Amino acid sequence: MLLAQILTNGVLLGGLYGLMALGMALVWGVLNIVNLAHGAMIMLGGYAVYYLFAGLGVDPFLALPIATLGMFVFGYLLQRFVLNLVVRSAMLNTLLITFGLNVVITYLAQLAFSADFRTINPGYAGSNIAVFGITVPLVNFAAFAIAIVLAGAIWLLLNKMPLGRAIRATSQNLIAARLYGVNPRQLYAVTFGIGAALAGAAGGLYGTIAHLTPYIGASLTAKSFVIAIIGGLSNPFGVILGGIFVGVAESLTALYFGPTYSDVISFGLLVVVLIVRPARALRTA
Amino acid sequence: MSETLLRIEKLSAGYGPVPVLFDVDLTVGRGEIVALVGSNGAGKTTLLRAVSRVIKAEGTLEFDGADLLPLPPEAAFMRGLVQVPEGRQLFGKMTVEENLRMGAFRRKDKSGLNESFERVYELFPRLKERRRQLAGNMSGGEQQMCAMGRALMAAPKLLLIDEMSLGLAPVVVDQLLEVLTDIRSQGVTVLLVEQDVFAAFSVADRGYVMETGRVVGEGSIAELQNDPAVREAYLGA
Repeated sequence: MLLAQILTNGVLLGGLYGLMALGMALVWGVLNIVNLAHGAMIMLGGYAVYYLFAGLGVDPFLALPIATLGMFVFGYLLQRFVLNLVVRSAMLNTLLITFGLNVVITYLAQLAFSADFRTINPGYAGSNIAVFGITVPLVNFAAFAIAIVLAGAIWLLLNKMPLGRAIRATSQNLIAARLYGVNPRQLYAVTFGIGAALAGAAGGLYGTIAHLTPYIGASLTAKSFVIAIIGGLSNPFGVILGGIFVGVAESLTALYFGPTYSDVISFGLLVVVLIVRPARALRTA
Repeated sequence: MSETLLRIEKLSAGYGPVPVLFDVDLTVGRGEIVALVGSNGAGKTTLLRAVSRVIKAEGTLEFDGADLLPLPPEAAFMRGLVQVPEGRQLFGKMTVEENLRMGAFRRKDKSGLNESFERVYELFPRLKERRRQLAGNMSGGEQQMCAMGRALMAAPKLLLIDEMSLGLAPVVVDQLLEVLTDIRSQGVTVLLVEQDVFAAFSVADRGYVMETGRVVGEGSIAELQNDPAVREAYLGA
C-alpha cells in the first residue's frame, strides 16, 4: 500500500515536472536554445500566482491563466528584443546569455519579492480524496490534470494548426520556411512566448504544492533539462512521460534511501541518459 | 513577346565584398517558360537569390510592375514570386500533405486552398498516393514533385525552379518537364534554372546562357541551339 501511495505521489508530481520541462523542450527543439533561465521563469509564474492570490484574493486556479498569459508576453518580448540577437548563433552564446538572464531575474526577484518562503495556500490546499485506500491530494491531482491538458494543447497546436506547423517547419528547415513566407523572428518570439507561458503555468502549480523562493529556478532548470532529454524534444506527451519517470524515480528514492537523495537520482539519471541517448540526437522536432 | 512579368536590368550582386553577378539583363514575359542555363558556378543560383531578395543587389529588379529591390524575401513571396529551391529543401519530417500546406501558409482563401490541393494532386497523382508519408522518406523524384507541389500551393505568378533535374533519372526528369507545360497552361510563368541544357531547352520558349556571372547568350531556343558557341559548350555538337 505504501508503495502504491508513493507511486501515486510520484506520478502526480511527475506530471508537473513534465509541464515544467515542456516549455524548455519546445524552445530547445525549435530555437536550439537551452534556456538556462527557464527555471527562473517558472519561479516568476509562481510569484505571479502568489501575489494574485495573497494580494488580490484571486483563486490560484483562476490566477493561473492570468499568470500564464503574462508570462507569454514576457517571453515574447524577451525573445523579440533580446534573444533574437543571438538565436542560431553558437550554443555557447545562448547558454551564456540565458545564464546571465537567470542571474538577473533571480536577483531582481529577490529585491522585489524578498527571500522569504512563500506558499500559495488556498482553503482547499489540504483536501484529499481517497481512491482504493490511496490518498490523492486534490491540488496535486489538479496540477497533474492541467499538465496533461496543456501537453495535449501543445500537441494539437504543433500537429493540427498552421502556427504549429510553421513552428515545426522552421525547426526542420529554416531556409524553406522563409521561402514560404514564415517570418522567423516573429515565429521565434511566439515560440519562446509559449515556452515562457508553459513555465508560468508550471510555476503557479508548483507554488500550490511546494515553497516558492527566488532561488528555486536553478534546480528547476536542471530538472527540466534532464526531463527534456529523457522525453525528447518532439512529442509533448513524451516530455510528460519523462517527467513522470523522474517524479516516480525521485519518490522511490525518497522512500528507500531518504529524501536527501532524490536530487541525486534525478541528476544520476541525467548522466545515464546522456550516455545512452546523446543530446545531439535529440533535435528531431 | 507578351507583357513583361519580371524585368532585370544591369543587376549586380554578390556575397559581402565578393561580386558574383555583373550587369545581368533578363526578362520573363507573362506565360513564358524561360530557361537559364550555364555551368556550375556561373551565378545562376546567385541570380535567383538576388531575385527572391535573399541577398543584396544593385540595378533594376521589377516584378509585376513593382520595384522588388527594397523588399524583404517575405514580401517578394507574397507578391507571387515563389521558389522551388535547389536540393528541394522539403520539411523532411513532415508528411507530403503538411509540406503542401506549408506552401499555402500565407494564403487566406480557404476555398482556393482545396482547389489548389486538387490541382496539385492532379498534376502529381503520386503525391496523392503518398500524402500521409514523411517527405524525407520518398525518392528524389517524388521529393522534387513535392517541392514543386508545395510551390504551386502558394498560388505563384512566377515559379523560380532551381536545378530541378539534379540527381534524378532521365525518365523522371521527362515527367517533370511535361508537368511544367501543364503548369504553364494554368497561367503560371516559369523561370527554369538548369545545368541540364537539353532538358531545359526541351520545354522552354526562350533561354539565357550565363558564364562567370554574366549573360553571354540569349534568344529563342531555336536561335540558341544554332549558336555555335552554345552548341559547343553545352550541347556537345
